[in-house]
Amino acid sequence: MAFGRLTGLQGMRYRGGGPMLAFLLHRVTALGIILFVGLHVLASFAMQQVIWGDFGIFINTIYESPWFQIFVIFCVLYHALNGLRIVIMDFRPGLLKYQREALWLQWFIFVPIYALTIFVVIQRALAGG
Amino acid sequence: MEATVKIFRFNPETDQKPHFETYTMPVESTDRVLDLLEYIKGNFDGTLSFRRSCAHGICGSDAMRINGRNYLACKALVKDVGLKIKVEPVLGLKVIKDLIVDMDPFFEHFRSVMPYFVNDEPPPAKERLQTIEERERFDDTTKCILCACCTTSCPSFWANQEYLGPAAMVNAHRFIFDSRDRAAAERLRILNDQFGVFRCHTIFNCTIACPREIEITQAIGELKNAISTGALE
Ligand code: FES
Repeated sequence: MAFGRLTGLQGMRYRGGGPMLAFLLHRVTALGIILFVGLHVLASFAMQQVIWGDFGIFINTIYESPWFQIFVIFCVLYHALNGLRIVIMDFRPGLLKYQREALWLQWFIFVPIYALTIFVVIQRALAGG
Repeated sequence: MEATVKIFRFNPETDQKPHFETYTMPVESTDRVLDLLEYIKGNFDGTLSFRRSCAHGICGSDAMRINGRNYLACKALVKDVGLKIKVEPVLGLKVIKDLIVDMDPFFEHFRSVMPYFVNDEPPPAKERLQTIEERERFDDTTKCILCACCTTSCPSFWANQEYLGPAAMVNAHRFIFDSRDRAAAERLRILNDQFGVFRCHTIFNCTIACPREIEITQAIGELKNAISTGALE
């Protein structure tokens, strides 16, 4: 008798480094986007109903809150940039040897854009917009 | 210097579940983790089971997870992994005993990509010649020793054992890009399966884990490209 395959949480503990973190973040941010779209669909549906209107508005306030927006922007931006990196490398396998540099470049593009968006979101929130 | 080695133990005859055992021993910074395992087997517990053969990074027997990532125990030095060492079997394959895993699924995938030279044309009088550039084309992937460090570091393989895995693809690459071989199309058809190259999500664990420093993700990228463009560049 053999012991089953060790995967799942054991896999999460595997020390793969930067590229594996990018892979995990890609999955997590995808779930974040699904959560956002899901809530959006649910809220739109609920608000059309006679009895669930308040519930719809409640969900609306969740995903329209600045905190949720900051989270969603992170998900969308990271997912888009990381996806783009993978697509480019898939088309140009020769670039794969520069994947470390590509990951850094990705963060260099990500940080300013994300910082700027957070700045705008917070500024609007403070201004009561 | 003293090192503490924590080892995954599982005896299928007595244990329901695996557990860890810890051993402390004198070490040199240039000792290999394999030396420590031998020391434990010789001095503390003769029942500790692990595979080894050449002890020089060539046979590929002793792939295992050391401090959370795959290494060949015979190539991992104490000075590289530290004095607190945790040794576990590789992920994604069944554990037979202690650090020994069932390699059958791994070799099945290896066999499935036709990892041998195919050319039915009558051989020339002397030998099938190849230019230096043609030989260079697949040089990197000839270095594979089938240790499974790559395949068992791959999340796509952990998720689904049907996935061919990096090692099989590296060996397919070795023949597909060999100018003397004639079965590239057939191999690419095998790789273009739902459990083939396109399950590779460019995670790079394989490339980092490879003790032979093969650019595995790049080799897989070249295979993806060959399938989508139909050209062997
Ligand atoms: S014992 Fe042969 S590769 Fe390590």
